[in-house]
Parts: sequence; C-alpha cells; structure tokens
Amino acid sequence: MTFRSLALNNIRGNWRSYAAYFLSSVFSVFIFYLYASFVLHPDVTDGKIIHAQGVTSMMKACMYLIIIFSFFFVLYSSSAFVKTRKKELGLLSLFGTTRRQLRRMVVYESMAVALLSIGSGLGLGILLSKLFIMGLSTLLDNGAPIRFAVPLQAVWLTAGSFLLLFLVISLLTAMTVGRSQIVDLLGDSRRPKQQPAYSPMLSALAVLSLGTGYVMAYFLTSKLFLLFVMPIIGLTVLGTYFLYTQLSVALIRLLQRRKGFYYRRTNMLVISQMAFRMKDNARILFVVTILSAIVMCAASTVYVFQKIQRDQIMDYSPYTVGYVEQGEGNSVMAPAEAEKLLHEGGARIAEKTSLQGLLVEKLQANELGWSEENSITAMMVPLSEYNRLAERAGYPKRTLENGSDQSASASKGSAFIVHPYASSEEDDNKGEGLAEGSVGGKPLRLNLDSSAYGSVVSSQAEATWLLVVSDGLFNSRLQDAPAEALLHFYGFELEDWENQQAAVNNFLQAVPENMQDQVQATRVSYYKDMRQTSGLTIFIGMFISVLFFIAAGSLLYFKLFTELQEDRSQFRSLKRIGLTAGELRRTIALQVVVMYLAPCLVGIVHGLFAMKALGTLLTQPVWMYGLAVMGMYVVMQSVYCFISWFMYSRSILRETAV
Amino acid sequence: MNVLEVNELGKIYSTKGEVSYTALEGINLSVQTGEFVGIMGPSGSGKTTLLNLLATIDKPTSGSIKVRGIDPMRLNDNKLALFRRRELGFVFQDFNLLDTLSIKENIALPLVLEGKSPSAIEAAIAPIASLLGITAILEKRPYGVSGGQKQRAAIARAMVHEPALLLADELTGNLDSKSAKDVMGSLQDLNERLGATVLMVTHDPFSASYCKRIIFIKDGRFFSEIRRGDNRQAFFQQILDSLSVLGGNFDDVPFSRA
Repeated sequence: MTFRSLALNNIRGNWRSYAAYFLSSVFSVFIFYLYASFVLHPDVTDGKIIHAQGVTSMMKACMYLIIIFSFFFVLYSSSAFVKTRKKELGLLSLFGTTRRQLRRMVVYESMAVALLSIGSGLGLGILLSKLFIMGLSTLLDNGAPIRFAVPLQAVWLTAGSFLLLFLVISLLTAMTVGRSQIVDLLGDSRRPKQQPAYSPMLSALAVLSLGTGYVMAYFLTSKLFLLFVMPIIGLTVLGTYFLYTQLSVALIRLLQRRKGFYYRRTNMLVISQMAFRMKDNARILFVVTILSAIVMCAASTVYVFQKIQRDQIMDYSPYTVGYVEQGEGNSVMAPAEAEKLLHEGGARIAEKTSLQGLLVEKLQANELGWSEENSITAMMVPLSEYNRLAERAGYPKRTLENGSDQSASASKGSAFIVHPYASSEEDDNKGEGLAEGSVGGKPLRLNLDSSAYGSVVSSQAEATWLLVVSDGLFNSRLQDAPAEALLHFYGFELEDWENQQAAVNNFLQAVPENMQDQVQATRVSYYKDMRQTSGLTIFIGMFISVLFFIAAGSLLYFKLFTELQEDRSQFRSLKRIGLTAGELRRTIALQVVVMYLAPCLVGIVHGLFAMKALGTLLTQPVWMYGLAVMGMYVVMQSVYCFISWFMYSRSILRETAV
Repeated sequence: MNVLEVNELGKIYSTKGEVSYTALEGINLSVQTGEFVGIMGPSGSGKTTLLNLLATIDKPTSGSIKVRGIDPMRLNDNKLALFRRRELGFVFQDFNLLDTLSIKENIALPLVLEGKSPSAIEAAIAPIASLLGITAILEKRPYGVSGGQKQRAAIARAMVHEPALLLADELTGNLDSKSAKDVMGSLQDLNERLGATVLMVTHDPFSASYCKRIIFIKDGRFFSEIRRGDNRQAFFQQILDSLSVLGGNFDDVPFSRA
C-alpha cells in the first residue's frame, strides 16, 4: 500500500459522507461550465448573436458568484471533514506519521475529490450544454439556432478555476492539520458535550425582533419603504440568528418541562437530542434560512417585474395595431385594407374598433401645465364613445355633470382629459380647472373635471390625449367642423397577439413612410423584448437557485454524517436497552425532518412577509410565483431530507447490528 | 422457579471460506429467581459471547435459551427489542448513559419507551434512586458525576422496569476500587432486598466475591462452579484458588472501549 492509495482508500471508506459534498462540487462545476461555454462560445465571441451582450455580462456575474459560493462551501466542508477525522489522524500520528505526511495525505485526498468532481462536472456540462443552449436559443429568439460546440477555452477555464480553488482550500485545510496534541485528537470524540444553554433575554430579543420585523413588513407602505427596509432586514436577520441559537433551545426546554408530552415514548429522545442538534447547527440553519429567503424574494421580484412590465405595455397600447387619421379619406390606410394585410400576415382579428373624434388645437389648461406657449393637441371624443372603450379596457365609466352646456364658465365639469398612462394616477394634480382651445378654428372653453387615467385607444399622434365631452357638445361641434378637423381612430386586436410579429410587420410595411408616426403597433415587439430579458434572467437565475438549494441540502446532509460517529454509540446503547428498529427510524426521521424543514419553513415565512411588503410596494399581489418557487424548494428539501434519512438510518442500523 | 434456562448452548463463528471458530459449546445453565450469579473465565473463554447471547443481541448456532419460559430466538426483531426492553436489564462497563439526558431521564428511559404515565415514572424512580443512593444527583447530567455514580445510575436504569434478569458486563471495569466496592454493595442490596436476579460477567475476583454462585468457563466450555458460604472473604479466597486451577490470563482487563 502506497501513501497515495491510503488517501484514496480513505475516500472510498467515507464515500457516504463525501457523497453530498461531491454532488455539490460536481453541480457547481457543471453550472460554471454551462455559463463559461456560452460566454466563450464561438458564435457569441464572433458577435453573431444579438442580445448576447447583456446575457454574457449576466452570466459572467453568475460565474463569479458560483466561484465565491463554491469557495466558502468547499472551505467549510473540508475543514469539517478534518474535524470529524481527528481520531483517525491522531491514530496515524501515534504510529509515527509525520505532520508533513499527514498534510500531504489531506492534500492528496482533496485533490482526488477535486479531480473527480471537476471531471464529472465537465462531462455532465459538455453532455447537457446542448440542452442549455437550446433553451437559451428559444429565449433569445435568435433566427439561426446556436450550434453545439465545446469551446476548449471554457473547459480550461472551468478546470483551471476549480483546480485552483480546491488546491488553495486543501492547502488551507492542511495547515490546520497536526497542530493539536495526539491525546486531544484521540480523546476528542469522548469529550462530553455541554448541555446547551440559552439566555432568556436573547430569546425574548429573537421574538421581539422577528415580530417587529414582520409587523413592519406587513404594514409597510410605499412611502415608508426606503425608511423601513433596512431596519426590517436587520431585525429579521438578527431575529433569525437568535431564533436558532437561543429561542430554539428555550422552546425545547419548555417542551421538556411538560412531562406529559416529554415522557411520551420516543419524544424524550427526540427532544433532548434536538437541543444539541439545534445548538450545534444553529449557524448553518441560520445561513440556509437567510439564503433561501433571499432566493425566494429574488425569484418573485423578477417575476413580478415581468408581470408589471406586461401590464404597462398593455396599458399603454390597448390595441395590437392602432392608427389615427386626420381629415377625410384614408391618409394612412383604409380599415378594410389593414384588416386584409393583417390577415395575410397570418393573424386572426379578435376585435376591431373605430372612433370618430375632433382635433382640438392649442389646448391650454394651467392645472395640467399646458400654457399658451406650451399648448398641446388632443382628440375630442363624446362621452358615450369613451365609456364604450373604457369598459373594454377595464376602466370605470364616467359621467359628466353638466350635459350640453357650451358656455362652460358657469358650470363645473363639462369635460375631462384622458391621460395615456394609468400609472400617472398617483400624481396629486387631478387636472380640474379651466381649459381653452379651438376646434376647426372656433374657440372652445370648458371646465375640466378630474382626469381619467389609462389609454382607451392607441395613444399615438393626435390621439395621445383625449378630451372627453358630452355627446351633445360633441355633435354640435361635429356639425360645423371643417374636414381637416376630423379625426378617425382604428384599432385592431389580434388573437394570440404575442406571436403575431409577422402580421404586424406586414401591415407596417404598407403604411406610407410619412404616416408611420400615426401608427402604434409596438406592443408585440416591446413584449418580446421584455420577455427576452426577464426570461433570460429567470433562466440563468434558476440555475443559481438550484445550485444554492443543492448546496443547502448538502451542507445539512454533510453535518448529519459528520455527527454519525457520536450518534452511533448512542443508538447502540439504545438498541441494547430495547429500542425497536421502527422507533429508532422514527426518532431519526423526526430529527432529520426538523433539521431540513426548519430552515425551509422559517425561510418561507420570511419570504411571505417580504413578498407582502413587495406586493404593497409594487401595488401587485406577488403570491403566485413566490409560492411556486417555495413549492419547488420544499419539494427539493423533502427529497433531500428523505434521502438523508434513509442513508442515515440505514448506516446507523447496520453499524449497531450487534 | 427458573428465570433463565440455558440448554446445550453453542456458538460457532464462521465466515464463508474461512476457518470456523467455536466460541461456545454445550453450555447448560439455569438461574433461579433472586439468584446472584457470576461468570468468570480467562480471556477468550467465551464470557462475552455468552453474555451477548443471553442479551439476545447475538444468535446462538445451537442450543436454546429460555427467559421466563420464552425463547427469544423465536421472536422477530421487533418483538425481540420489546422483549429486551421488558424482560432484561443491562449494565455495561462503559455505562452507556445518554449524554443528552439527565440522570433521572436516563433512568426513566425504559418506562418512557413503554408509554408509562409521568406520575408512574416518577413513582418508580424515587425508591430505586434512594436505594442506590443517587437521589441527590438525579437532575445532573452524566458528564457531571463520578464513574461510580454513573454506574449506579446505569443499574437504576436497568432495574427500574423490574426486569426478569439483570445482565452485567464487567460493570466495575472502569471504576476505582472504592467506587467498585460501592457499586457492588448496591447491586448486592438490590439482589437481597428486592430479590432481583443478577447475572454478571467479570474478570475481577473482588467483584465476583459478591456473587452467591460463580460459574467458571474455559475455552467455551463449562469448567467448574462454586457457591458462596456466609463469609465473603472466604469466598474471595475460594475464587482465587479456582482461578489458579483454571489458569490463563486474568490481568488483562481491557481498557474501556473507545
């Protein structure tokens, strides 16, 4: 047996505890390679792919993130490994293994695991990069599909970065080996643990700070957001830390005092061990909780932004295609012709509408900031028509107090302005006041009611602002208006509009060059752009989230197996006393479940409050997507939990057979 | 009435393709209610194998064991665990107390697992704790008390559910002579006052002198048996004489199992 084979055999013997660590390392390498292979893909570096710029910079950021994350993960894991193997190392020193040899062994071991995980990660990455690139291509909506390639540079980058990372960490770990006395190393596992203690003050602080944080998040308004957001985060983080280190122990003590519950069969075992487990793992549980809350919030935020952007696009362009014509005849296009062109482009018309209006020139309204020098043009439409279109767009119907009065000076509210943006509604200025303008050269004086917000027609050219008046007033003005004061709006809504870019293009090409400004047909392309950026964010972020979830599960799995040695002797005694295999499994199951699901559940509660605050801020309920992310998280943790429980109880049962 | 009935018990260790090793052969033993029996023998004589078989954590290759008329080998794993829990009590050289529990909770464990009510558990602990002189340390943790106290707590745990048979394995192996004396005295008290049936495996002639009967085994077979008269000192001398006849190594009390 050579020295090297000793190191390799150590890994083979400990493969169960190495498994999760190995898996996480493989996954980190895998994701890193996927990103690197895209960033260094020949098509991307050649600049053949549009949009690649943004994606590349996002992926680069993610790559840094992965490396930093992996550094801490691997560092933690390997130092924990050395700690659990104190006895073995002590034994080796007792036999006269020099410190240098011990260090070399540790380096050999971690390099073996490193090479293995880099190899597997790269293999997996190369195998699956086609799928990844296909997914990206769909999202990028790039005409030509990105071809499959194995950029050697990416392979070297991945292998090199991780090799360096593992090397640095194994050297760091090796430094800590062999510093302690052999007696300490040998006796370490027998040193009894102190009974976990808690401070009532700090436990109360945990409750207080979590409670305050939650209440503040629940009642948060958008005005107080900036002021409160830091205190809320600070309080929650603080509360979570003390929740695990203090409050959990306090709660367990409380349970222990309830004899009726505590003395019920295996409860005593589970609860008394839980106190130790909680205290020992408090920091890990804390980190996992905070990170899972962050991941959930980030995922929901991205989704919410996507939804909000979509709503804004819909809000701004209520029709897929709409245009405004001035005067008699069809300066842009006859509606029948437009319909025909859209149809030829492969679209089906879901709805079409037309609206007749009058051009109001030199419209002034001091309340709205339209002065004499700063006057605007608007489209005057009758109230009944406005209400018809408003109902369609989902805005409330309006009434005008004073029907047909022309000499507006005496009465209030004979007209109102329609803002193109629904989101402007929060402005303090309601737009009430006097308005002056002219229709076909004839002056117009009206008293404005408070404005309506949100486009009911495509807000383009003269139809950007609407001036809604009573039907009577409109008709009387219409009768003696000259032809050039006439405005016509035509709107078309397409079925399955998200995918009708071709039809829209077909239509746009037929619009005369000088009339392009009269047309609003940007909805589809805006929507696509938006989908692409947020879709990519979600796509790339998803891998990072999964990486994180796996790492979180691995840390807990790992922690469990490093404690196996101690637990084994406990369970051996219990087995002799006559604990049945079923009871033993149940005892283990309960402990494992709490370890895995506690950070998951606390993280979810944090996430829920954060999303409540986020919902208030964005004036949108954000639950659905957040819940989906949570569901995914819970499922992944449960799977991990089940596997750990299975492996753990099996190895305990097997080891305690006699 | 016989609590324990062992008939032609044998254990052969064998692994596929390797030489088999006979650890025990043709052991016959019966223990009556209220007896205090010691089993002695040199290293490798099969004492621990015998105890493991009696403790039902190992299975014999021949012969039978009956505890209160029940053959534990016929029970399935689950029932066997319950059998151990109800009919047997164990005391080990390395105490095997759970660090996570207080002394009191450790003692209560067999009753808790049985689902007894908290008041019944408290009621059962009090007398045995006072008998063993550990009432004062009930609320302490195992690491905070001395070895002798730990072992007495372990005895209390083994006896609290009033098992048919108490099995003890080198229970003074980890103790200094003063503590060993205290612990053996406590065990004797239990045996005499409560009529507990005790079967103890030991190397130590001094501990063995507390027994009422000692069975010597050598190389896996029954060797001889001696009974105690009124005087413990005389019995101690008798044990030493038997051991010298028996031969073999007795100075190899192992270190505590790590």
